[in-house]
Amino acid sequence: MLWYKAWRESQGTFLMSAAAVSLLCLAFALLHKEASGGISNEPLTYAVYIWKIVYRGYLREVFVILVLLLGMGGLMRERDNGTAGFTVTLPVSRRRLVLVRAATGLLEVLGLAWLPAVLIPSLSAAAGESYPYAQACQFALLWAAGGSFIFMIGFLSSCIFAGPYTPPIAGFLALMAYSLLSDLPVAERYSLDVHDLMSGTGRPWFELSTARLISPVPWIPAAVFVLIASAFIGLACGITRKQDF
Amino acid sequence: MSRPFAIETHGLTKKFGKFAAVRTLDLGVAANRTTGFLGRNGAGKSTTIKMLLGMTHPTSGNATVLGRTVTDERANREMRRNIAYVGEDKQLYRYMTVDQLIRFTRSFYSDWEPEFHQRLLKKYQLPLDRKVKALSKGMRTKLALLLALSRRPQLLILDEPGEGLDPVAIEELLQDLVAAAGNGTTIFFSSHQISEVERIAEQVCILDEGELVADLSLEDMRKDYRRITLGFSDEPEPRRFSLPGVRNIQISGRQVTLVASGNSDAILEIVRDMGPVSVDVAPIGLREVFLDTVKTGVA
Repeated sequence: MLWYKAWRESQGTFLMSAAAVSLLCLAFALLHKEASGGISNEPLTYAVYIWKIVYRGYLREVFVILVLLLGMGGLMRERDNGTAGFTVTLPVSRRRLVLVRAATGLLEVLGLAWLPAVLIPSLSAAAGESYPYAQACQFALLWAAGGSFIFMIGFLSSCIFAGPYTPPIAGFLALMAYSLLSDLPVAERYSLDVHDLMSGTGRPWFELSTARLISPVPWIPAAVFVLIASAFIGLACGITRKQDF
Repeated sequence: MSRPFAIETHGLTKKFGKFAAVRTLDLGVAANRTTGFLGRNGAGKSTTIKMLLGMTHPTSGNATVLGRTVTDERANREMRRNIAYVGEDKQLYRYMTVDQLIRFTRSFYSDWEPEFHQRLLKKYQLPLDRKVKALSKGMRTKLALLLALSRRPQLLILDEPGEGLDPVAIEELLQDLVAAAGNGTTIFFSSHQISEVERIAEQVCILDEGELVADLSLEDMRKDYRRITLGFSDEPEPRRFSLPGVRNIQISGRQVTLVASGNSDAILEIVRDMGPVSVDVAPIGLREVFLDTVKTGVA
């Protein structure tokens, strides 16, 4: 039943996020002729347009914000709402409370990451264009890996800070700080930029001229971010264990 | 014969920075009794309860609840299977309906008693399909109590259970607590409402500024505690009244008021020899003991 609770607490954010991603996919696919001129003065192939507006551009930025917000909630929020006492006194460990919430959130991130992979190819066909499912699925995997890392930034922030505004603000600030640091040459050398992982920008497995992923899924860089996200879950468990409610 | 303790603390302390909310608390709450935990606002009652439940970590000292050490995570989790807690705000998941919350809660307890739960549901007339956020505070308290009592816990801990309730709801709540105690549940409840405590408690622990300042049986209090008012023709010497069993001495001109916590017959015999012009002996209620015990500054 903890899964049920975690789902009930996050379903509003998840469903609104899914609706936002779906609407943007719909708009970007169906209005590609109008939108294409807005992002480039030169004519773009459909694949390049989709990459620029979806996988590198607006939709990815929206996705990043949404998964960060999906990380909000948990026991510190419950402390503000007055229900932490009820939750913490259930005969379950705090570790399990954290793990279930994290797992539920990560499944939701997975769902959001796969939405464009389902919608973009089918909506492209409806708009008289084509976008390969294989490409969309590969990007979905990269979004799932990068999204899990970003989700955990929000999750950690909501484990540390109380109040309705502090956790999202701290999460955004942490993400901005990370984004700035990951642009430093030393970080770029180790491909530590999650935004580049999700869009493929500057990576050897991505061809800029065709905007396509040219080799099989880059499992290792994706796994690195998933591992970091897993470490964040361990950190969140440790922090929550020591907290007073 | 002394009763076994459901709750025992030794030197339990909680500090928030330099402020000590609870100071070296040595507390023993007897099993199968109803114990009131009395104190002013901010006395440290809620912090103590939170430490007992593992919600808050003690700064030092230790405690056992139902024989399990509260600071041991696994033991604490096992202990929580056998106790029920009703918090001060009675805040429950607002987004769930009454039915959903009952199903959610019962999934954690193998000893949930469906028949007793149905009986309480009927008694409290809780609307199953109504969301918790649409319940009044009185209804929320009933729901919290239903969730707590439906598995007949060994120990029921309540933090200010009557807070924010109207007199009728408080009366119903107290009756339910008496019934639960009758079924063998140990009850430990905090309150700053003396009348609530006096109604149902058998034992009273008084906390003041984080320290236990009194631990007394209400039966003993009614039997032993006396206020002795003496009138003298001359202003008396205060030192003469420092006698065994005298808790408090107040001298106002030629009138002396003593609060005796026992030994009152012997005290009376001694003070009568001092030649008072008038002697008045009266029993004392919990309210007076409480005001006398905590540092209120009230005369």
